[in-house]
Amino acid sequence: MNLLQVRELKKSYARGLLGRKVSVLKGLSFSVPAGVVTGFLGANGAGKTTTMRCILGFDFVDSGQVDVFGGPLNVAAKRRLGFLPERPYFYEHLTGVEFLQFYAHLTAPIKKAELRARIERLLRRVDLLFAKDRPLRNYSKGMLQKIGVAQALIHEPELVILDEPMSGLDPDGRLALAEIILQTAKQGTAVFFTSHLLHDTERLCERLVVMKDGKGIYEGTTEELLNKSGFELEVSFLKNGERQLVKVGTDIEVQSLLMKLLNDGAKILEVRRLRLTLEEIFVNMAMRGGRT
Amino acid sequence: MRAIWILALNTFKEVIRDRILYALVLFAMLLIGFSLALGQLSFAEQARISANFGMSAIHLCAVMLAIFIGSNLVYKEIEKKTILTILARPIGRTQFILGKSLGLALLIVTMVSGLALVLCMVFWGLQVHVGLRFVLVLLGLLAEALVLLGFTLLFSMVTKPLLVVCFSVGIFMIGHWQGSLQFFAERSQGRELKVITWVVKYIIPDLERVNWQDLILYEQPVELAAKMWSLGYALSWFAFCVSLAVVLFKRKDVG
Repeated sequence: MNLLQVRELKKSYARGLLGRKVSVLKGLSFSVPAGVVTGFLGANGAGKTTTMRCILGFDFVDSGQVDVFGGPLNVAAKRRLGFLPERPYFYEHLTGVEFLQFYAHLTAPIKKAELRARIERLLRRVDLLFAKDRPLRNYSKGMLQKIGVAQALIHEPELVILDEPMSGLDPDGRLALAEIILQTAKQGTAVFFTSHLLHDTERLCERLVVMKDGKGIYEGTTEELLNKSGFELEVSFLKNGERQLVKVGTDIEVQSLLMKLLNDGAKILEVRRLRLTLEEIFVNMAMRGGRT
Repeated sequence: MRAIWILALNTFKEVIRDRILYALVLFAMLLIGFSLALGQLSFAEQARISANFGMSAIHLCAVMLAIFIGSNLVYKEIEKKTILTILARPIGRTQFILGKSLGLALLIVTMVSGLALVLCMVFWGLQVHVGLRFVLVLLGLLAEALVLLGFTLLFSMVTKPLLVVCFSVGIFMIGHWQGSLQFFAERSQGRELKVITWVVKYIIPDLERVNWQDLILYEQPVELAAKMWSLGYALSWFAFCVSLAVVLFKRKDVG
């Protein structure tokens, strides 16, 4: 079942003094199924953030359709949705607990005891229990990002949309956030997020949507994309006391190479399957104009 | 209604924890304190001068709060993108505007009430009895602040805070000078001034209709029915401006 369905989305903005129309989204279509982590990739200026804005109704679309939980984005749908914007700024005057209370109350009425338990559980999960009574103005960037994720999850949504959740975080922060995303997905919440950090995306996302110049150029599983791009086999062996490496392109080639090496008295050390990383594939697709 | 109240409380908390508010309150307190000293300059009119100065301090403070904080009320949310996490919740844009306005209105009421208490002590010290008249003056001040808040919100839908402040100060000044403008227009030979005055009369509220400080200063009679009509007049302007702001905000890209 698709929680989010985007069809033929078009959006343009008026730019400059003369209000010249610049097309940002040019008929984008994709879907986000339930229960999986979907990554949304594209180069800078491809239109990812605009897409997010249109999905969430912050900006009005020129044409096309966005269905969230099978219908238009209404109050009922928003109750089942969590969102963290890019470079989030929050109400700095609130403490961590007040901040989460505020967003929980805005979403739906909730009993005090239940809310208290939920906040405590969530703060423990994002490792911010120690700072729960500090005003947000005293939080570091990583802490703000984590409390931002917590606010997106406070009402236990079925779909969470995260815009660049890992940007600007140090490796520790990224690791922690990746762990939170994985845990969230394990609990059955679908996660849809944009990121420039492709190593993390490759590790976290079961599905990918890749866009370029306002249009979708790939939608499918990460595995499928990685496999489509082909692979190489690297054979490492010892011959005449010397370590050597040979790369071949197919399974058949590797079989015959191994037979030959064994016949020659070589010692096989390792056979490794090498494939392009998501980063390499992405550069090829989104930057150089390749299409999968 | 619940969402509006939650947003209002958050706005109230946000401003109350802001240092600018304390600077403004301190400024008003100093003015009220100064009114005592100023009153002593006059032998016969000490109470009147102190009352005039004190009430003007509260008036100024309420107006500044409405204009300066109001000009940033929605703009800051859009600039800092805090609005995104709010509108992603089951909150409509109308509720957002109403919540923000209610929050600031609550704050103005709180601040005016606090400063009024201080002024009451001054009146008590000067043995001036004010009673219902003082309450009416305060209601008038609040109504004016609400009208200016409405205009400020409306302007902030179409332009940046600096211009919003300029326009709102313009409304404040013309709003108080409408009487003088009409006076001069009636005596003017030219048609232009008459036309301008006629237009201004319909597009800018007459803020003197809720300026009731003379009730205390000159002990004018309290015409309660007329005062209530004037309050209704001011609140209608506030409702009109907020409604228009909502209409514009509903068409605005906020992302």
